[in-house]
Amino acid sequence: MFSRLLLLFLFSWIWGTLAATPSHEQIVGDFFNKNGASGGSTSNHTNNWAVLVCSSRYWFNYRHMANALGMYRTVKRLGIPDSNIILMLADDAACNARNRFPGSVYANPGRGLDLYGDNIEVDYRGYEVTVENFIRVLTGRMEPSVPRSKRLLSDASSNIFVYMTGHGGNEFLKFQDNEEISAFDIADAFEQMWQKKRYNEIFFMIDTCQANTMYSKFYSPNILATGSSKLDQNSYSYENDNDLGISVIDRFTHYVLEFMERINKTSHESMADLFAYYDPVKIHSDPGVRSDLFRRPLSEVRITDFLGGVAQVEVGEGVPVDSSAVAAAQEEDEWPLQGESPAVPPVLPVAEDTRERVGDLGGGWRGMRAWGGVLLIGGLVGWVGFRS
Amino acid sequence: MPPHVHVHPDGTSLRDPSRLFYQSDSIRRLIIASYWLFIIAAIPLWWHITSIERLSLPTARVHAQAANHLRFPVQIQLENVQDSSISTSLQKLLDDRIHKSHGLDVQVRQQSDPTNPSDSYVIRAAEGVPSANERSLTYPVRPATLPNLADLLTLLLAPPIDAHRVAQYSPRYRLAFTLLNEDAAAGGAISGWDISGAISRHLSPILTALSVLHNFTIESQVQFHAPLAFSPTPIQDGSYGLTQEDLTVFVNSAEWSLSSSVSNDPVLHFIVFVPSASRRPLKILDSNGLPSTSNAFLLPQWGGMVIYNPPTQDTNSNTNANAPLPPSALHSLFSTFATQLLSLLGVPNLPGDLQTTTDALTGWQLDALLRRRTSENARGAYDTLQSIVKLVDQIENMPVGQDVRGDVLDSLSALEEMYTPSPSSPSSTPPSLTTTLHHSSTALTLASRAFFSPKMLALLYFPAEHKYAVYSPLFASATIPLAAAAIREVVAWRKGRREREGAGGGQ
Repeated sequence: MFSRLLLLFLFSWIWGTLAATPSHEQIVGDFFNKNGASGGSTSNHTNNWAVLVCSSRYWFNYRHMANALGMYRTVKRLGIPDSNIILMLADDAACNARNRFPGSVYANPGRGLDLYGDNIEVDYRGYEVTVENFIRVLTGRMEPSVPRSKRLLSDASSNIFVYMTGHGGNEFLKFQDNEEISAFDIADAFEQMWQKKRYNEIFFMIDTCQANTMYSKFYSPNILATGSSKLDQNSYSYENDNDLGISVIDRFTHYVLEFMERINKTSHESMADLFAYYDPVKIHSDPGVRSDLFRRPLSEVRITDFLGGVAQVEVGEGVPVDSSAVAAAQEEDEWPLQGESPAVPPVLPVAEDTRERVGDLGGGWRGMRAWGGVLLIGGLVGWVGFRS
Repeated sequence: MPPHVHVHPDGTSLRDPSRLFYQSDSIRRLIIASYWLFIIAAIPLWWHITSIERLSLPTARVHAQAANHLRFPVQIQLENVQDSSISTSLQKLLDDRIHKSHGLDVQVRQQSDPTNPSDSYVIRAAEGVPSANERSLTYPVRPATLPNLADLLTLLLAPPIDAHRVAQYSPRYRLAFTLLNEDAAAGGAISGWDISGAISRHLSPILTALSVLHNFTIESQVQFHAPLAFSPTPIQDGSYGLTQEDLTVFVNSAEWSLSSSVSNDPVLHFIVFVPSASRRPLKILDSNGLPSTSNAFLLPQWGGMVIYNPPTQDTNSNTNANAPLPPSALHSLFSTFATQLLSLLGVPNLPGDLQTTTDALTGWQLDALLRRRTSENARGAYDTLQSIVKLVDQIENMPVGQDVRGDVLDSLSALEEMYTPSPSSPSSTPPSLTTTLHHSSTALTLASRAFFSPKMLALLYFPAEHKYAVYSPLFASATIPLAAAAIREVVAWRKGRREREGAGGGQ
């Protein structure tokens, strides 16, 4: 018995050693990729898309507009062209009659950086931001007359960044005070995208109250999701601007954008760094991450895999070059930092979301409630009818 | 006096309250019954207008397509070969190398065989360097060289593919040619180019050869200010270099407008980049930091770029002059573009040291590409049909209209036509590759059109509580009094009938 164990151990040790020895092609490949970062991302996407949705309107939801515009600016700065960004905004803040600084949208008190500027391209504005249009954008089912700039023309090697902000609740998000979209609808839309091979990987970020419930229903592979607050938790705004008179950005998005200001097109920061940067004390809510549907480890997924437009390149006779970087590029504007944040070493994500498991018990409770309502109405009818 | 008329002591005539008009039982019951009849008659209408149109899809036929696999018959003729055993040994060698996954049925025959079809491949046995032209191959055929010949034929018939680089199949492509001057204001810029001449000389043969696959639309532009988002690193000999990392962020899509967004067809970009006069010459550095000989690079599935450094002008001439692109440069640039276009569209390279005198593509390359695209399209069409069926099954709220069903049926018939040709065509000659490709392309287009039909938008998810919350204020407030009244009437009617029977029976 002992000898058999020893033999097994010996065999597995030999097998492990042999398997760990890199093959000849691997050695050559590593030599050519020498200037790639150690553990560089092995993503096989060739283009990037971004869908940024601000689902509220009116002046008092200025901060949601600023959220979406802040993300838009970041995504553009990191290299995704306007033709690959779908921006859905109610767009009624910059030229609002109550705006003391007309034509501008600011995202920090003190008004350091104008996000509205003169170089933004809003694809769906005003009353076009509806649940139906959002689902049509994701699934690609549009009338033939819809122009190219309003379509998500992604394919099987596209990485898509979906950002949503607004007022939300338990598994729903309110669209323009008119209608709501539920977590099931988004999950079904992503599944349809998967079936038609419209994405390689999706990064879903949402900043609303009870945001983590919105990604609890996804069931398609290759989706990484993060939200700003748990079930029964609100997401809070960051700070008011005294001249504008309203709050100008939400906490979660503010800290995410603060992290992104350290990123440029050639950075190596990974998603694990971003998730480690979350601080529930500062954000005043518990952000969550859902990575069980995502195949790659988070420390190897670069931020620029989703938010940047970094390409892969083959030079001349076809020597493949990895999308890796050493040199930092010059950036024009600096996001006004609240203070220097030290570089965080890659650490596995902190707040793993404890997904609400709506099991049979939960479904049964809802059914019982529904039947209780029916019985109540029936009882009322009977009581009224048989009154003498 | 009628019995129901009582006479009041005052003299006015009163009527019996139970006989008065508004107390008439039968009329009251008729009124209540009419409300209920109306509700019951309206229920089918309500059911019809709130139900989702879901026509049935031919699920069984779709699943039956899984068993079909595309096989391409390939005929090879040996010319100038006297030894008949060579063909059998070559056949055996090829059978060893080309296995089932390639989907090819290879047959080797002697040239003298009268049943050879017209589009077979010909191998001419002749000494000298091997060369390939159209569908023929000149090769020194000897029993000793047969294994090499078999390897060469395998590479020609079933070349390895680089799926990452090749753009996806689309029946229509736009080719966008751009001449970008980084900064024309610094002088010495390129003012224009003879684009139509260059295209007709270098690219038209390729485009014509590939016209069976794709329909090409070409657009071109010249831009005079196209800044880079970074600064190239200066290197020792006064030139500037682009590291490999710089190349990945070279295309500054935010500030360069590269193609018109008129149609939804996929675009392949071909860009000539002329650096500004202060940063010339601009070279590409290899992984060791030394300038490489190549000045072109390819972005997979997107397009290709060439960096053109205009020759430095001598101090006598006006250094600010803008000159058009010289023809020699045009020739080399567009040869590079031709190579890049071929690799982006998936045309396989001729293996190794095979020479050719054909202008654009040999028949071997074109046929290999056609075969590959056909099998990709067939697989894609089948996958799409499968997904449609699966999604309609999975999402109960998804409507299936007449147009979706029609497209699915048409796509299925195109697929079936491709696998088993209709009896109208003669069965001895298999359909040509072009027809098969056409069928597969039709199948894929129709399946995609069915999947992306704008009407196939699933209705939103409404949990049961939402439905009750919506319906109960509408219907309950109307039906509760009606139900109560109906029940009261039924009870009263039954009580009255019992009393009448009791009164009548007890008499």
